[in-house]
Amino acid sequence: MEQMLIDSAERILRDGCDKALLDSAEAGEFPQALASLLIDNGFDQLGAPDSGTSGDDAYGVLRVAGRFALPVPLAEWQLARVLGVSGYVSVGRMSADGSSAFGVPWAQQCERVIGVSDDGRARLFTVAQCRIEPEAHLAGESRASVAGDSEPIDAPADVFGRMALSRVALSVGALEHVLELAITYVTEREQFGRTLSKFQSLQHYLAIMAADVAAAARATDAAIVSLETERFPLDVAAAKSRVGEATNRVAELAHQVHGAMGFTHEHQLHHFTRRLWAWRDEFGDEVFWQQRLGRHIAAAGPDEVWPFLATGG
Amino acid sequence: MMQYDRAELPAHHDEIRREVRAFLKQSFPPERRANSDFTSGHNPAFSEQLGNKGWIGMTWPARYGGGEKTFFERYVVTEELLAAGAPVSAHWIADRQSGPLLLRYGSQAQRERYLPDITAGKSYFSIGMSEPGSGSDLASVRTSAVRGDGGWVINGTKLWSTDAHRNHFMIALVRTRPVSDNRHAGLSQFVIDLRRDNVAVRPILNMGGQEDFNEVVFEDTFVPDDRMIGEEGNGWEQVTSELSYERSGPERFLSAFRVYVELIRAVGTEPSDAQAATIGRLAAHFLTLRRMSISVAGMLESGGNPVVEAALVKELGNNFEKELPDIARAALAGGARPAAFEAAYQDTMLGSPAFTLRGGTREILRGVIARGLGLR
Repeated sequence: MEQMLIDSAERILRDGCDKALLDSAEAGEFPQALASLLIDNGFDQLGAPDSGTSGDDAYGVLRVAGRFALPVPLAEWQLARVLGVSGYVSVGRMSADGSSAFGVPWAQQCERVIGVSDDGRARLFTVAQCRIEPEAHLAGESRASVAGDSEPIDAPADVFGRMALSRVALSVGALEHVLELAITYVTEREQFGRTLSKFQSLQHYLAIMAADVAAAARATDAAIVSLETERFPLDVAAAKSRVGEATNRVAELAHQVHGAMGFTHEHQLHHFTRRLWAWRDEFGDEVFWQQRLGRHIAAAGPDEVWPFLATGG
Repeated sequence: MMQYDRAELPAHHDEIRREVRAFLKQSFPPERRANSDFTSGHNPAFSEQLGNKGWIGMTWPARYGGGEKTFFERYVVTEELLAAGAPVSAHWIADRQSGPLLLRYGSQAQRERYLPDITAGKSYFSIGMSEPGSGSDLASVRTSAVRGDGGWVINGTKLWSTDAHRNHFMIALVRTRPVSDNRHAGLSQFVIDLRRDNVAVRPILNMGGQEDFNEVVFEDTFVPDDRMIGEEGNGWEQVTSELSYERSGPERFLSAFRVYVELIRAVGTEPSDAQAATIGRLAAHFLTLRRMSISVAGMLESGGNPVVEAALVKELGNNFEKELPDIARAALAGGARPAAFEAAYQDTMLGSPAFTLRGGTREILRGVIARGLGLR
């Protein structure tokens, strides 16, 4: 992973991705200036063949994007470039019959949409020729279903896993940010004449959150490392499962720690917790991936589970 | 804040892994024990076999019988033993923490006296930290050692010393100077010869009906000068370093592993959707905890002191191994439970309350983590 890329993404987002931008994006306005800046700097090309960058770079930058709740379809662009599709394009989960894609971010702002199915197929939809139906989204992010004619396109067999990993990487960034917000809040807020950080019950909450965030990050790193290996489908399953579990506890405790302040629209916390709740459902929820992993293990039988966990089989 | 690098076990360690598996197949045939708990299964003959294979004190210098191997190689051996449910309790504490403590703080004579027998799998150690009035608040220990002629006279009681009734030695933390403003000062560590020194060792029956832990009573017990480990008064620093060895190993998340294996056997090759999800969810935890634990082993290998990272592994791992039997039980609800599952389940349930107590309670560990987060 190139630290320079990470640092530069962080600089751009610190300047350009603030609460005002998140509010306007959630009201439906596409953040054009920030989107252009990210493309001009080549962040959409990360991980693409001949880009001189790796999947590690791509997912590393998505983790940074998650820290800022970036409302630009960067993950979707990165996948499109891997598949050789250029321009303003988005990605959604494709129905089994290939007739539609759903959960598509910013469909109206894109020329084309790639639908990916959980069995590794991909098709290209032309937005101007499709019916677009907006979808409700927990985080108020732009999502729509796209239905109509489409053409098959070549995609690696793990294309669905790659999109799942994008949600995992975004989530880890958001989890890290939520933990930082909570730590800052308890060290500043005073009640009963001392900061909240001095109360043991709150210290324990933060310890539980830190443990989950650390586990989520480690599981995600493992899936990134196994990109393009045989292990990837199972490591991404483990990551989606583990990060989904972490999301549930960390978001709950973060709100408990922040009290009523964190329940207001004015506070930034909800931009992250609502996205965490939404992202855990996208490209396969925890149970979907747990079943994949579980069926693989059960099929191999009880004497093979330890070799699988320790050395991959 | 906290950092887990992407350490992986080096691929060439697969060779030693194969060797351990072959050994277990041959010397520890199918009637494997029902659980993977490192504190149950005290088997001197088995420990001696491991010693002969060079699998105790693996990272120690050759002059003491050690293997001069890496922490990663030791990791491979210990996780294979635990996963198989091998009886490792006899030598476990000596290998994990007493030996490393003696290597770091012991005198040359002490290293020569104790380490070779440990690596041979013939000498076993117990922990002497807790007391009737000192549990989590370890610095409050009251067992005292007072200078006598050519040595020290010890009075007091140590508690929860696992296997003290069948092990050879105990390393006891005692007060050698009266309590001062600095409550961590004035503590020292001694090697106690459990078989020859004048101590009374009384087993305490645990809730599972096993005699594993003990009370060890000192009444004007004399030990010679050469039993003191390190410097007089330096006991707190030493005991804290000892704890960092013990918090992040595979024994902190594998204790219930045999229940998982038997669950997979019980559901067969075509599990229901819910059973498949349970198996997958638990696998995600095992994979992640193992990687975190290996990251910590890597940090120890390169001379780091990953106190918070180790505490996080223990916090997550102990809670997980404690929840596992109940999750497995729910996955089989409504049907008959096979005898092998039942044995693993019962054995593990009966040991499970200790998972979040031993080696520092969950609450103490959360305090350590909170300190690492800058909250204390």
